[in-house]
Amino acid sequence: MATASAPAATLAAEPEPIGRLSALWTTIRRKPLGAVSAAIIAVLVFTAIFADVLAPYDPLFAQPEHRLLRPSQAHPFGTDDIGRDVLSRIIHGSRISLWVGLLAVGIGTVVGMIIGLVSGYWEGRLDLVLQRVMDAIQAIPGLILALAIVSVLKPNTTNAMIAIAMVIIPGNARIVRGAVLSAKQNRYVEAAHAMGCRHPRIIAQHILPNVTAPILIIASIWLGNAILIEASLSFLGVGTQPPDPSWGLMLSSTGRAFMEQAPWLAIFPGLAISLAVLAFNLFGDTLRDAWDPRLRGTR
Amino acid sequence: MYKYVIRRVLMAVPVLLMSSLIVFGLMRIMPGDALTALMAESGNVGEKELKKLRKDLGLDKPYHEQYLIWLWQMVTLSPGDSIFTNEPIPVALKKAVPVTLELATLAMILGLAISIPVGVLSATRQDTAPDYAGRVVAVSGLSLPDFWLGTLVITFAAIWFQWIPPIGYVSFWEQPWRNLQQFLLPAAVLGFRLSAATMRMTRSTVLEVLREDYVRTAWAKGLAGRIVVYKHALKNALIPVVTIVGGQLGTLLAGTVIVETIFALPGMGRLTVEAILFRDYPVVQTNVMLVAATLVTLNLLVDLTYAWLDPRIRYQ
Repeated sequence: MATASAPAATLAAEPEPIGRLSALWTTIRRKPLGAVSAAIIAVLVFTAIFADVLAPYDPLFAQPEHRLLRPSQAHPFGTDDIGRDVLSRIIHGSRISLWVGLLAVGIGTVVGMIIGLVSGYWEGRLDLVLQRVMDAIQAIPGLILALAIVSVLKPNTTNAMIAIAMVIIPGNARIVRGAVLSAKQNRYVEAAHAMGCRHPRIIAQHILPNVTAPILIIASIWLGNAILIEASLSFLGVGTQPPDPSWGLMLSSTGRAFMEQAPWLAIFPGLAISLAVLAFNLFGDTLRDAWDPRLRGTR
Repeated sequence: MYKYVIRRVLMAVPVLLMSSLIVFGLMRIMPGDALTALMAESGNVGEKELKKLRKDLGLDKPYHEQYLIWLWQMVTLSPGDSIFTNEPIPVALKKAVPVTLELATLAMILGLAISIPVGVLSATRQDTAPDYAGRVVAVSGLSLPDFWLGTLVITFAAIWFQWIPPIGYVSFWEQPWRNLQQFLLPAAVLGFRLSAATMRMTRSTVLEVLREDYVRTAWAKGLAGRIVVYKHALKNALIPVVTIVGGQLGTLLAGTVIVETIFALPGMGRLTVEAILFRDYPVVQTNVMLVAATLVTLNLLVDLTYAWLDPRIRYQ
């Protein structure tokens, strides 16, 4: 619920899930791109869940006699340098991308939210320190920070996830803090204080509902970015390790080496990444238009 | 204004200190210490040499002392040598920084040269074919990974035009033409990525400003369309655009990491990635701090440009 639309009289402001969904529905009807992006995301999730059934081959099954085959009926996206089916690898790769994206954004959002809530609600010295720490993390470009974290921890998928979460935290904390600061101005928060409500109750009942919309919007935009960072890390060789089929890794390992003889090795994984990121970006835009136009321009 | 600048500079100090703690901390969390990891990988260094090396590098001292020593090195701009190449870090940086600087500047220029005119066009011709085309390009710029674009650009330039960027970096001052050939593609890839967000922002702010009263006045008094759009509307629409551009400096620097790797340009990005991969921690620490300091400074400059663009903003 947007703070602006909350009149002071509604003391026990209940979140209105129906109102929010209907706002989303209205926006989607006006802007069909939102529906398209939602459909792409649905297909992605479906693919990731049923990868075992959908993939025509085992993604790790190598048939050296069928190496570097052009796209054909048997192998719609061709085969790679040791004869693995590219389509099957891309289908299984969707698992890694979505899984890393979801968990990284999940961790980043929750931790960022807690920091933002504490920071915005209590303000004071703690807020000052926390914000400077967030500034310090943000002063290091995300990819470089993620690279450093991964190389310290050991390059693999889980650590890539943790590194991406670290990159997400400061931005989220800042946005939540802002939302909390403005939510605190509401009369009903003051009233709750006056009535002797305890802090946890005020936060859960009166502050949190004001913060969920921005969090969901940012999270959906971050999902696209997280997938992109995972792919970049794997591309640089410090994310998912072979032989697992990560899209970024497929691009860097076989895609670049055989680009001229077998362009499909680079084209299809790249398309998969782009499509996934595009869908999440567009969906995030749609959520933002539906719920909180004031957030326009934040990323 | 001066007071504001001084306050902002003073505020940057704790931020950078905190960044340095994070970087230093990260480099020390590494399981074992840097050297054991390092030597285990190369495998032919005796225990005695290891001890000596550790002493030379000051790794036998307690952490807080190491940190203070390093901090002092940063402040006095004498960051020591690389563990791997034994080259003094300033020497390596002197070679790498101009490469990244040129790449980033070119990318920024290309990015702005695409995004602002297209953004304005998109706004003045709202909901027409050029507007849709511009927006599709913008969204795809946000979604196409730069490493993919880079790979495609190199390959298709080779396949279609039988043209490969000249290998072996030369500086602009030695052979300008050869240098530009090397930088054009990577800068275009980076610039395209950057232009996306700027284009979107330009479009939406110009749309907003075009509905302002003073723009209507400008039209009413019969000014030419070009002057109304560029002089009256664009100048006022630029402030949020500057914010976006400022916010992209981080993206730009991160992008150089990838693009330099793909296009084999010996810049900061590649230096840092290699240092990270080889755990050459003095180099990593120095580079990351340099990047952080650059970003903090640039962001301050961005904030100050607001005042220039919008005289209503007065910093106290």
